[in-house]
Amino acid sequence: MTFRDLLRIANRNLLRNKLRTLLTILAIFVGSFTLVMTNGIGDGLRDYVETQVKSREGSNILFVQKKMDLPETEANRDEPAEYKEKTQDDTGNTIDPNSYTLETSQIDGLKKDIPEIVSITPRYNLNGEYITLDGIKKYQLELGMLSAGITQKVEVGRTIQGSGEIIIPLQLAQKLSDDIQLLIDREITIGYAIGQSDEVKTMNLRIVGIATKGFFANSNSFVDSETARQIYESQQSTSQNYNKFWSFTLQLSTSDASKISKIKTSLNEKGFTAETFADQQKRAYDAIGILQIGLNFFAFIALLAASFGIINTLVVAVMERTKEIGLQKALGMGRAKVFILFSLESVLIGFWGALAGVVVGILVGTFANFVLIAAYSSSFEGYSLFSFHLFSIAWVMLLVCAIAFFAGVMPAFRASRLNPIEALRYE
Amino acid sequence: MLEAKNLSKTYVSDGVDYEVLKNIDLRIEQGECVAIIGKSGSGKSTLMHLLACLDSPTTGSVEVDNGDVSLLTEKERDLLRNEKFGFVFQQFFLNGRETVLENVVLPMRIRGASQYRMIRAAMDALEAVELKDKDDKRAKDLSGGEKQRVCIARALVGNPSIIFADEPTGNLDSVIGELVENMLFRLNKEKNITLIVVTHDPDLAAKCSRIIELKDGEIIADSAAKPDMGGTES
Repeated sequence: MTFRDLLRIANRNLLRNKLRTLLTILAIFVGSFTLVMTNGIGDGLRDYVETQVKSREGSNILFVQKKMDLPETEANRDEPAEYKEKTQDDTGNTIDPNSYTLETSQIDGLKKDIPEIVSITPRYNLNGEYITLDGIKKYQLELGMLSAGITQKVEVGRTIQGSGEIIIPLQLAQKLSDDIQLLIDREITIGYAIGQSDEVKTMNLRIVGIATKGFFANSNSFVDSETARQIYESQQSTSQNYNKFWSFTLQLSTSDASKISKIKTSLNEKGFTAETFADQQKRAYDAIGILQIGLNFFAFIALLAASFGIINTLVVAVMERTKEIGLQKALGMGRAKVFILFSLESVLIGFWGALAGVVVGILVGTFANFVLIAAYSSSFEGYSLFSFHLFSIAWVMLLVCAIAFFAGVMPAFRASRLNPIEALRYE
Repeated sequence: MLEAKNLSKTYVSDGVDYEVLKNIDLRIEQGECVAIIGKSGSGKSTLMHLLACLDSPTTGSVEVDNGDVSLLTEKERDLLRNEKFGFVFQQFFLNGRETVLENVVLPMRIRGASQYRMIRAAMDALEAVELKDKDDKRAKDLSGGEKQRVCIARALVGNPSIIFADEPTGNLDSVIGELVENMLFRLNKEKNITLIVVTHDPDLAAKCSRIIELKDGEIIADSAAKPDMGGTES
């Protein structure tokens, strides 16, 4: 018997008792539908996070922080943190093991040890006051900076390349002009407070881009690191925290993963933790992955329950068809073929159930997205509750077919072991 | 040529041994028409199962064309049954939902023959049992006699050298039964197919050229081995 024959016969056998087959498929359908939906939620989240974090890029960028034994920001710590004495490093800087803060001088030394470092940018904290195009209508300014080497995705224009440049968020741009394209290369004025005083200084910057929405750029404007340093100097030079930072950005001359990995190791030895964009994204994806596994677990239980339906259906089918199997074996059909025939029947049940689950799941998910977008589009732009990827769908189909196959193993094995003489005598 | 050498079969049930066949020696030449008779429990069905390689003997051996069947793997035995044997059973064992053609084609399908050869062989076999015009009827819609003729066609389709018929007329009335019998005998003569009929019907046995009678697992009469004893009575 060829495989095609077996497939055709298996299909025909399933159609013999349509109601029973349909009910078994229905049970599998419920399980695979659930799996498609839970997978869809996870993928939807992942897609959303991806569109958000992917608004910034830089494969040769490392975010560096001081390595701490105990994170001092951990809010509900059970024990009080032990105080550690301050020490001096080899260049004479005071090292305070109780604080995250780093002095610029501590970081600058890295350039000698790690030749791949192109530039080091501290993360300047900037306090913006307002932003205005015409000097009359002012908008509140949330000011951030874009470290050298990082690319901000833009709707129009380009990312920051030189000094005196600013990228403004889309929502602000839409307020400023009906045609955001016209804003590119226009001068814009920002105001920022000096030190602790009420004095506000202004600065003229050139708009080079309108940022694509994302985690970083929903309402923030960004200036280049040189401009950021100037603003920082005038805001913080009198502060006791002057030139103390929590984090730095390293721009490297390489984006080769293995080299970056080596640099991370050597930074770690020097008492720093370093992360790439990919590391940060991976953390988010890992969290989603765990959520997805949790959700899928419940769908899996539904499938497991349904697989007993398959076992039951096939056990009954083997009993009903004992004589038929006996005859086929007497006429020379081998054990393997009998096993394959029944396995195919169970896999087919799984396949049709999975297919129905996938099709209905995608329809329901798409409809749910449609309804949700209509209701919540303003707060979650670009977010689809359910997202269906070909890979996930194929994975669900395969998994369900595999579960169905394993459910069919026992009955199929029993069928293959039937003794033709006894089967033909069986009443 | 089919040969049994010192064939014994013992079943164990609840720790008690039942010796169903005892030291059977038998040789059946190609083209013979043999009836195996005996009361129920005499071991005639077991002997047929052993000769047809559906069962393995406890001791002794079965040889098909001088090859010892016990030396074959299960797969090879499946192949042997498929290619050399045809089976006709009392209860037909037809698949009522399928067409006559599909039922007849089964041994060829198991063999993996091409669609063209399969259908041609099936139509030839149906012609031999005079049912060519009913090939697309469902098997359950046929009369008893027609069903058994379909079974003969199914036994015939693979071009076997031996047909085993287990009470082939047991479910048929005498008129129809005779028609089916004649069909089997005609195949035996025209195609030189060895016919081995297991029956307790003395009339059917009498039409065979050789009668082997079993009692309590032993051959008590063989019309070929001892021509002077060639009676049909038990």
